[in-house]
Amino acid sequence: MNEHLKDWRIHALAFVLTLIAEFIGTQKFAFGPLAFSLIPMLYVLIFGAILGGIKVLPHDMMEEASPYIGISVMMLTAKIAMSVGPNLEAVINAGPALIFQEFGNLGTAFLALPIAIGVFHMGRAAVGCCFSISREGSLAIIADKYGLDSEEGIGVMGGYIVGTVLGTLFYGILVSFLTSLNVFHPYSLGMACGTGSASMMSASLAAVVSAYPDMEAQVTAYAATSNLLSSVDGLYMSLFIALPFCNWLYKVMTKNSRHYKDGVPIPKAAKNANK
Amino acid sequence: MNTAIWIKRIKCLIIVSAITSIGNMISTTKAGNPVSPLAAIPGLFFLLVCTILGCIVYELINKVSPKNLPAIAYISLVTILLTIPGFSPIAEWAIDATNKVGLLPLCTPILAYAGISLGKDLDTFKKQGVSIVIIALFTFTGTYIGSAIIAEIILRSTGVI
Repeated sequence: MNEHLKDWRIHALAFVLTLIAEFIGTQKFAFGPLAFSLIPMLYVLIFGAILGGIKVLPHDMMEEASPYIGISVMMLTAKIAMSVGPNLEAVINAGPALIFQEFGNLGTAFLALPIAIGVFHMGRAAVGCCFSISREGSLAIIADKYGLDSEEGIGVMGGYIVGTVLGTLFYGILVSFLTSLNVFHPYSLGMACGTGSASMMSASLAAVVSAYPDMEAQVTAYAATSNLLSSVDGLYMSLFIALPFCNWLYKVMTKNSRHYKDGVPIPKAAKNANK
Repeated sequence: MNTAIWIKRIKCLIIVSAITSIGNMISTTKAGNPVSPLAAIPGLFFLLVCTILGCIVYELINKVSPKNLPAIAYISLVTILLTIPGFSPIAEWAIDATNKVGLLPLCTPILAYAGISLGKDLDTFKKQGVSIVIIALFTFTGTYIGSAIIAEIILRSTGVI
């Protein structure tokens, strides 16, 4: 039993960090129409990284903390799944057309993964970052399958941080731009807002609605339904379609690339040495 | 079944529940709708039970088949089945109880563990940092444009627009 009490320092530190972070609370910053916010879970990541960076934490403590991510993230999966059951009826009523639209979320992989491999020669972190928009459910999937301290874990954590800090800001700009192009019908723009993240949806929806104020009700309805669908099917879609697809694409793209060997990017130093 | 793993699992889930109940109180108080740690316990207990049930299903399937889904797929499924109104007798109680626990306060202790273990991966982070930021922005762009294209096709082919 003693060995199970030995790592109390990790839990005590997690407790203290959480308390400090929650006391600071969400902080919103705005520059004119552009806004971004910092939330408690970012603070705990940053506190931890600082403590580790200045070598206050012993290395074995960092090692011992990592299995607890995998365990606690399972409970987060249960919380995320809570939004499915009560909404199942609404999803079935939404009809097959809207459900088919969910496959648009695979656009993450189609656009980002080729750039990650072709331009940045990223390793497996690319898969963690590209299979989804890296929200809480994606953290759970990667933590469970690869561990958050794996290459894939670094990708999804990076994506999570970027999304949390810059997500609303970025979607606000992107969607205003796409709306101004007049390529898509406002309904399509509205539907696309439903990415499975409430804050990102609000930011992109605001951009569409401000361009088409007379269609606010319809656009909002499409966005909300699509967002609901994404949050219901998100976990399974990512797990069974997007992640396997990314793994396959990664394998195919790195196989014949001169920047990779056995699916691992060749470090720059080694490449120069070969010349 | 490995007893050491189960002790570790249950210990961690209980500690996370305890931290969340207090973090949740702080965050709900700030939002002007305070939920006491005691009021959050039934919801957290329900999530804990779903997690354990999902893990049991995972391990039972592991015994009979070498091919298995990750545990979170079962946890999610168990939770969904227990919370479909009309199908599960405890659905309404469970939804009501877990609504008292916010998603974000539950994330904080989890990312605290991630933060503590992050120190050892800082070098990798530094090396890949810039490319991850750019790629993440491309994933956001990709999912939006991908969804908009498919939406446009569907809405046009069904004659809505």
